[in-house]
Amino acid sequence: MLRFALRRLLVALLVALAVSAASFLLVFLAGDPAVAMLGQGGRAEDAAALRTLYGFDRPLPIQYAAWLAKALVGDFGRSQFFNLPVAAILWERLPTTMTLGVCGLAFALALSLPLGILAALRPNSALDRIALLVAVTGQAIPSFWLGLMLIVLLGVVFPVLPISGADDWRGFVLPTVVLGYYATPGFMRLTRAGMIDVLEADFIRTARAKGLSAPDVVLRHALPNAIIPVVSLAAVQFGFMLSGSIVIESVFALNGVGRLAWESITRSDLPVVQAIVLVFAVIYVILTLAADLLNAWLDPRIRAA
Amino acid sequence: MAALLEVEDLHVRLPVAGGTLHAVRGIGFALQPGRTLCLVGESGCGKSLTALALMALLPRRAARDAARLSFAGTDLRSLPERRMAALRGDRMAMIFQDPMTSLNPTMRVGTQLVEALRRHRRVSAAAARDRAVALLERVGIAGAAARLGQYPHQFSGGQRQRLMLAMALMCEPQLLVADEPTTALDVTIQAQILRLLAEVQRELGLALLLITHDLGIVARMADEVAVMYAGEIVERGPAAAVFAAPQHPYTQGLLNCIPAPGRTLPGTPLAAIAGVVPSLVGDWRGCAFRARCSRARPACADDPVPTRTAAGRHSYRCVLSPAPAGREAAP
Repeated sequence: MLRFALRRLLVALLVALAVSAASFLLVFLAGDPAVAMLGQGGRAEDAAALRTLYGFDRPLPIQYAAWLAKALVGDFGRSQFFNLPVAAILWERLPTTMTLGVCGLAFALALSLPLGILAALRPNSALDRIALLVAVTGQAIPSFWLGLMLIVLLGVVFPVLPISGADDWRGFVLPTVVLGYYATPGFMRLTRAGMIDVLEADFIRTARAKGLSAPDVVLRHALPNAIIPVVSLAAVQFGFMLSGSIVIESVFALNGVGRLAWESITRSDLPVVQAIVLVFAVIYVILTLAADLLNAWLDPRIRAA
Repeated sequence: MAALLEVEDLHVRLPVAGGTLHAVRGIGFALQPGRTLCLVGESGCGKSLTALALMALLPRRAARDAARLSFAGTDLRSLPERRMAALRGDRMAMIFQDPMTSLNPTMRVGTQLVEALRRHRRVSAAAARDRAVALLERVGIAGAAARLGQYPHQFSGGQRQRLMLAMALMCEPQLLVADEPTTALDVTIQAQILRLLAEVQRELGLALLLITHDLGIVARMADEVAVMYAGEIVERGPAAAVFAAPQHPYTQGLLNCIPAPGRTLPGTPLAAIAGVVPSLVGDWRGCAFRARCSRARPACADDPVPTRTAAGRHSYRCVLSPAPAGREAAP
């Protein structure tokens, strides 16, 4: 297990390094960053001055090395819009997005795992159909529309929940539901398919031949074997929820990183955009690593591979 | 001695695309403690479904019914699943054909061994573990204590079947159903597993229901044999009697298929029974073997096929009269 973990960690570090280079270069993809900062109608002398001020005139590898060295100690430069350190801005916004992501994922799993398991136990039953309906609507309804409808229903018509902001936990309820519901179908269908497969397996028959109770057979014998693809998907979905919560944060007026990213792009606040891309990419890498380790813990055969 | 397991007129039906598949059609047998009954037949004859029907492990869509299905005096026919589960793994245990897939790949073998015992008996974790170690040693797995923490993929095929056997014996069952336990193993391992099976049977006084398609295994292991064809038992009796004087043309055909060194000349085609097993979807009248039988006659299409007695408990279902001993009698 330790060797497996170390090997995975090494791979993750290499991926993170590649990702950092990509996010560094992102700034240059959109053209000359100095011109972008000045906006349309900027003068050439000013652009030249900016280039010298920010070091854009140096060779790229040197700029990258300097940027990476600072980024490693948490220094992402200063936001041109806020005139504050990027790290401080991120640090202020990250908890909202993280809370939303964790709650969304937890909600999605809490809804989809039991539904997926029950659907697999009785394929084509009424319950299975209902679960399928839940899945299809979740897939089909756009998040922003569901968000708006829930706001109308639970915030305006029956005002039981706040419609915007995150002053207390109640502000997170609707965004969590909207964000989590979108991820539910994938988890549920994957759990159902995996469980149907595993429940047919010979070792399930062995477990039943031992006289084990149905919950033992389903939860202890079948589920750990069926859940492995769900773990991998959950890691990807969680990353997606964090970086993709732009829509939800906008609809519910939450001051998270998603909204910051959107605003910073429209303001050409490049250091902020760059830092967000890097941070989310690294989070993705960490999540993938975590999923790999969790799967290796679930299935000993993965460790040996 | 009273029979431990008694089966009469057992049917298993499966709904399939074209109708109902009558996979097991009214079979009956009895098994005494300490004895071995071999259920022998080719693939698809219903022998595995018979085993699953006894254990109430049939697929959900399969229907089972019987005139009698009793285990140690308990009527299994109407037993609720809770009470059936209490018997399974405790007093009746089963091992399966493919040891590579019959163990849970994500669970330590120690856990898998211990769980049946702890489900059925009030024993401490330490006592259950001691029992697992003792049984693993008994079935020939060296260094058992150290191996409890390992996973199935760290064991070879033969070792896994040993594990399955140890697992089945955890609660000292009275009946062991072994469904083709050596089919997936290579020949030398087969012999070891069969020897082990015979040994533990003798030690524990187990009733063994051994399902196989291999007549060599039947000859080695069986006290009693029941030959299945197309969902029916076509011939049954003491193994010695059936081997000495097989009466049903199908049994004779099966025995003729075994190549014998000295008698089967190298290069000559091996004997085979011509034709294929009939489809058992829908109703069937008469003898199911008649389409492949060289001695078929019009009476074979009539119901019911007569059950004749060859000698003592040796009986068979065929219109033909008993023939004297010697398998060369069959054309």
